[in-house]
Amino acid sequence: MASKKFKTMVNPEKIKGDTRYGDLYKPHGKVRKRREWRGVGDTLYDYTRWLGILFTLGKFMVVPRNIKFFFRYRWMANYLAVPMMVDRFTQGLRGEYLRIAHEEQDLIIIDVAKLLGNLARGDRRVGNDEEFSKINVLVDENEMTAVMMGFPDLKCTSRETPSTYVPVLLNQHAVEHYLDVVQEYGLPGDVCPMPAAEAGTSIDDDAPILGACAIQCNTTCDGSLLSNGVLSRKLEREDGIPVFQLPAPLRHKEDDVQDYAAEEVRRAIKFIEENTGHKWDWDYYFECARRVNVATKARNEWLDMNKTDYPQVFGGNLALYTETNYMAICGKVPEFEVADKRITKLAEKAYKKRKMAAPEYRHRAIVWGVQSHYYMDFLVWLLNCWGIVPLTDMLSCINTEMIAETDTPENREQAYYDMAMLTEEMIMRNRTHGGYKVLLDDLFEFVEQFNADMIILWEHITCKALDGMHGLFEDRARDLGVPLMWVDHQLFDPRVVSRQGVRDQVNQFMRTVMQEEPLDPTLEILDDENSW
Amino acid sequence: MKKKCLKALLYVLTGGLAFFVVTFTVYFFNLDMKLTSSIEPLLLKWYDRIPRNQHL
Amino acid sequence: MKDLKHLIYFEDLLQEANNELVQQAQKEGMKCIGYMCENVPEPLLNLPGIFSSRLRAPRTGSIDVGTYYLTSFLCEYSRAILERALEGGYNYLDACVTPDGCTMLNRCVENMDVLQAMGKDKPGFFFDYMEIPMKADYNGLDLYVVQCQNHILKPLAENYGIDTSDAAIRKAVDQHNKVCELLRAIGDFRKLDEPTITGYEYNVICLASYVAPKHLIMDKLEETLEELKKREPDEKPWFKARVEVVGSEVDDTDFIKIVEDSGAFVCADRFCYGSLPGRDPIYLNDDEDALTQVCRAYMYRGECPRYMDTPTMDGRREYVAEIAKEYKADGIIYQQMKFCDPWAYERMMGSHILREEFGYPVLAVDRPYAIGTSGQMRTRVQAFIESIDIKKIQKEG
Repeated sequence: MASKKFKTMVNPEKIKGDTRYGDLYKPHGKVRKRREWRGVGDTLYDYTRWLGILFTLGKFMVVPRNIKFFFRYRWMANYLAVPMMVDRFTQGLRGEYLRIAHEEQDLIIIDVAKLLGNLARGDRRVGNDEEFSKINVLVDENEMTAVMMGFPDLKCTSRETPSTYVPVLLNQHAVEHYLDVVQEYGLPGDVCPMPAAEAGTSIDDDAPILGACAIQCNTTCDGSLLSNGVLSRKLEREDGIPVFQLPAPLRHKEDDVQDYAAEEVRRAIKFIEENTGHKWDWDYYFECARRVNVATKARNEWLDMNKTDYPQVFGGNLALYTETNYMAICGKVPEFEVADKRITKLAEKAYKKRKMAAPEYRHRAIVWGVQSHYYMDFLVWLLNCWGIVPLTDMLSCINTEMIAETDTPENREQAYYDMAMLTEEMIMRNRTHGGYKVLLDDLFEFVEQFNADMIILWEHITCKALDGMHGLFEDRARDLGVPLMWVDHQLFDPRVVSRQGVRDQVNQFMRTVMQEEPLDPTLEILDDENSW
Repeated sequence: MKKKCLKALLYVLTGGLAFFVVTFTVYFFNLDMKLTSSIEPLLLKWYDRIPRNQHL
Repeated sequence: MKDLKHLIYFEDLLQEANNELVQQAQKEGMKCIGYMCENVPEPLLNLPGIFSSRLRAPRTGSIDVGTYYLTSFLCEYSRAILERALEGGYNYLDACVTPDGCTMLNRCVENMDVLQAMGKDKPGFFFDYMEIPMKADYNGLDLYVVQCQNHILKPLAENYGIDTSDAAIRKAVDQHNKVCELLRAIGDFRKLDEPTITGYEYNVICLASYVAPKHLIMDKLEETLEELKKREPDEKPWFKARVEVVGSEVDDTDFIKIVEDSGAFVCADRFCYGSLPGRDPIYLNDDEDALTQVCRAYMYRGECPRYMDTPTMDGRREYVAEIAKEYKADGIIYQQMKFCDPWAYERMMGSHILREEFGYPVLAVDRPYAIGTSGQMRTRVQAFIESIDIKKIQKEG
């Protein structure tokens, strides 16, 4: 079959301000020479949002215990780079795109700042507020928090999110220290570095200690499941924090696993009730369920928009926002409902005006696989450097179904199955597990649905679930005539494949296979190995 | 009274303008990140000095 | 020691997946069901009319095609098995059942399935996938039972008309137990101060029991047991230390050979394809259906690191220590097939815990699927044995 070809679309509107983004990088530098000039209006807008971010950070740092917390935990140093992360994610964005990105990013920053504040307050080494600690339930970083949707007065607290997950977004080298620690203890370097870094943080005595109990989940992979065992050992044996292991079935598309999954959810809820003394609140659950549906509906709308010639909500921001909103928030934070609506409004406005985010759209791509966490803004680079529109990514292709949101006796029973479904189909694992269809067949269905002419396939080299489909991806893409570009990376460890190593793979493919020249040549090679 | 109000307004405007000029300069020239990036190595040295009970 | 009469026979059975006993059973009209993971209850694949063949890729050479499909980051076992499947090495199978135990084995079978690596000319052929519990408890047991019903028994009955009744399962368990009891009895000679069987010999015999139809191998096992009762140990001990080998899948007898050639005696085999607990008999009562009892036995004795509940995780390390005590091991070798995620973590945890909490000398190593005559491994094991030996001498002194 012949290769698909998308006809290049040229933006009728000129991009205001800087367009040679590579010029902003300082060779060998940790930070950039200056911020981007986006034209008067957008620069002032970005400036005000920057002030807002500084205010959020300042508010956090004026609390004395937070300062103590900052100086106790190594990973806190990465939060110095928060404004730069936003700059990276908003590179080249103007108008509605810039505003959508800020809606997403700024809210995540506020949410993470709150989480850090809670950790500092409850941590036995810092705030040591025992009463507050008792209302915290620890959850994994990569865990669906659906079982917390009926506990309005409890805090759903992840230690791994602020200690390993967010830091790598902020600073590509953030967890190298923890990876070294865990490897010194004998863990091979060929396991996924995300759970490995989490284990390293625990071994390095660098995880805050708080909480009435903990819920662990088998989450995304064998590594994640096993790394939990490292964490639970300390939690239970040393810290006296009871742990419930919530196994979500791997073959989540099968009917005959759902009773098992629902029963585990029931048991997890009972465990939380017993260990916190708080009772499950159905009113609150259904309110959260309603908000989950609002988020699902919004996401469906954005993805539908991305199937047209004028996609509006896409790229790294979409992936990051979806991850946060779907898993960590899961209907529990009303502010995200407001943000969902604002983003939809902005997207619709831009769509009506047929706005484009770059000077040219040369290719429409489905981004599949697990993205490089240390280079999550790669999708913006892809757009700016090569005019490739990342229509959607695997992590954003999650649940599209509504869950029961009205309080009836039947729906209370259904709720356990809904929570189980959300947990089973949480981000990443909904594709990396559940049989090959959800990973392999669905990708090519999305290619059709989104009218894509290219696949960017992140190969997270130690993600065994993805590696195990490598040949079949290639075979299928070849059969269907869809150009497939492999982009290797090591998720949390840029020492294995650097950011430029990631870019080189695209550059070579685009120049040799596609025989194209970059849209912005200044971005092709960047000296950002030392950069945050 | 009117003069006082105008004077106060002038102070506010001047203060606002000064705030804008300073913060915008910091913003545009990325001075905030340049400062924090120079602090980071010192912080890492600090963290290295914290005694830790490293174990499984 | 005098050579075991049937050792070469058992060794020959390991030279090909489609060995002579597999061929003989199929000539008898039996169907052969392939599987690759200890979490598939073996007796259910040995119901009247069928027999199990645990997949191996003996004499593995190039695994280039397997590596193309699975990349070089998946364990060599999964790559070697896929390669062999694509070469037609498992065309003798009539079905293949796999649990979603570890990602790699699951992906390996999914690749076989999509690529139609086997079964094209067999109308009844099926691939099936099971969910297996990650915690050993009542809910896990319910799941296990349902999964065995839907993904083993049902397709066997529908595709091949196999009797999957309670009586048939009991009959299969009886046969399973006979083999297990024989292997237990043979393995008990390893507990002797002057053992009359080597770890290598036992490994060969035990492996053969996984890859040959049970009813055809029984007589040779019985004869071997009788032979061992009369076998005289060497005058001088041929080893410097007794070691327990723990860890991931080992179906390569060369690995145990290397360990023993380096001066150790492998007195206990706590690994997939080993006998502890893989060759524990399953004793059934009459009060409950056989399927539930089989699943319970498999679930509660499961030593696979994918079991994530704290009691099972702690139990895994306690079991290693119990075996070490029972078989009088001087040290423990935690081995992990390279790229195996579950055992990467379990090896790290287990090696520290067994050393620090149980006081055993521990060697932690990773290894390829087919080890051949690895000098590196030999050196590491030799150094470990010497360190145990020195400690012994120091203790005695």
